Amino acid sequence: MSRLHDMGGRFGDGPIPIPRKKDNKIDNNEPTFKYEWHAKAWAITLAAGGLGEWNIDISRHYRECLPPRDYMNYSYYEKWLAALTNLLIDKELVSMSELKEVINLVEKKDLTLNSDKSTKLDKRTWLAKDVQKTLGWGGPSLRKTNISPIYKINEKVVTVKYSPNEDINGGHTRLPSYVMGREGIIYSYNGSHVFPDKNAHANGENPLPLYTVEFKALELWGVSAENSNDSIYLDLWEPYLKSNNT
Amino acid sequence: MTSNKKHNHEDAHSHLPSDPELRVKAIETLLLGKGLIDPKTLDELIDTYENKIGPQNGAKVVAKAWVDENYKKRLLKDATAAIRELSYQGRQGENMVVVENTPEVHNIVVCTLCSCYPWPVLGIPPTWYKSDEYRSRTVREPRKVLSEFGVNVDPQIKVKVWDSTAELRYLVLPMRPLGTEDMDENELAKLVTRNSMIGTGLPENAR
Repeated sequence: MSRLHDMGGRFGDGPIPIPRKKDNKIDNNEPTFKYEWHAKAWAITLAAGGLGEWNIDISRHYRECLPPRDYMNYSYYEKWLAALTNLLIDKELVSMSELKEVINLVEKKDLTLNSDKSTKLDKRTWLAKDVQKTLGWGGPSLRKTNISPIYKINEKVVTVKYSPNEDINGGHTRLPSYVMGREGIIYSYNGSHVFPDKNAHANGENPLPLYTVEFKALELWGVSAENSNDSIYLDLWEPYLKSNNT
Repeated sequence: MTSNKKHNHEDAHSHLPSDPELRVKAIETLLLGKGLIDPKTLDELIDTYENKIGPQNGAKVVAKAWVDENYKKRLLKDATAAIRELSYQGRQGENMVVVENTPEVHNIVVCTLCSCYPWPVLGIPPTWYKSDEYRSRTVREPRKVLSEFGVNVDPQIKVKVWDSTAELRYLVLPMRPLGTEDMDENELAKLVTRNSMIGTGLPENAR
């Protein structure tokens, strides 16, 4: 079984919420952040990530682990805020009593806490002067390893049938349910990349071969496929695949 | 197999105020108070993605590929390096892949598991890209999704859907519009819409 974030192929969702201008043409230029709180929620999440206490896979997994009811009810940046809050507690950057205290003050509109300008920054804090440098470098997941990839370009493979995270029940994985147990063809090999199934649980980077795999629409959707010409491509790590020579 | 290591946060998020603005305020106040975020870092981040990094970057990449055949070859072979030639690089674009639209192929990019998107060339994803509707439907019925965007793909043309499940980030190279032979790179860049680089749109027509 999977979690709610794994929604590729699901039925029941309505039209794409495409913003339109007054003349009904598609608006390609809606603001980067619709509300100021969106911008703040986004920036705080990035800045807190800059403390170095977790990696991108851990933060993704925390969003996925929100209770299903919350995951569905929350808007995008509400999910970010909820996952960040849980991370701050688990990584002991903030205690439950500190959290409850500040919530109490904010709900009473008592914002005096913010007026103290003399706060000393923690030595882990991501400083404004380092922002451009850090963004420019990013967080590459490609690693140099001596691992030779097992599969060759154009080789037939089949994806594993069950969630491939063998360490942890309900653990993080990047193999979506909609391609599990399906036949595909290796389209390209992309080198060894940090393996999210381990990295999301702080069990090391464990870089492994990453392939782009082509799946025919017919293989995934059967007779309901829109067009037999079409294909879907996913980037999948070697443990998600088995050979399909039989 | 061990059971999932229990997170000990006791669903801390459920204590947050119901008004999202107050949720942000609470977390911001807490982190500022402990010196765990630099308020100037927040301003710098927001200013960067509101004003400096966005689809105008990707449009320059596309326009250059339209006028310079050698650049296009480099872009399709090693997109990360070719995009870095224009000084676009880094966070959420560390490993770029460019996929080319042709008379036979139409490409469309999605992230079904979250909201992966090539930040250095397109900025922060639009709301619809992060919506459940786009994430769930695009892999199963890309042609219906495309038609909602006003893009009607001929049944003879192959649709390729790219689901960004790892850290590779995809940019679509749309076809150069007809009647633009006399236009230079800067003029061409203005025709390149954000959606045309996700695959959910086409470039504007030359006037």
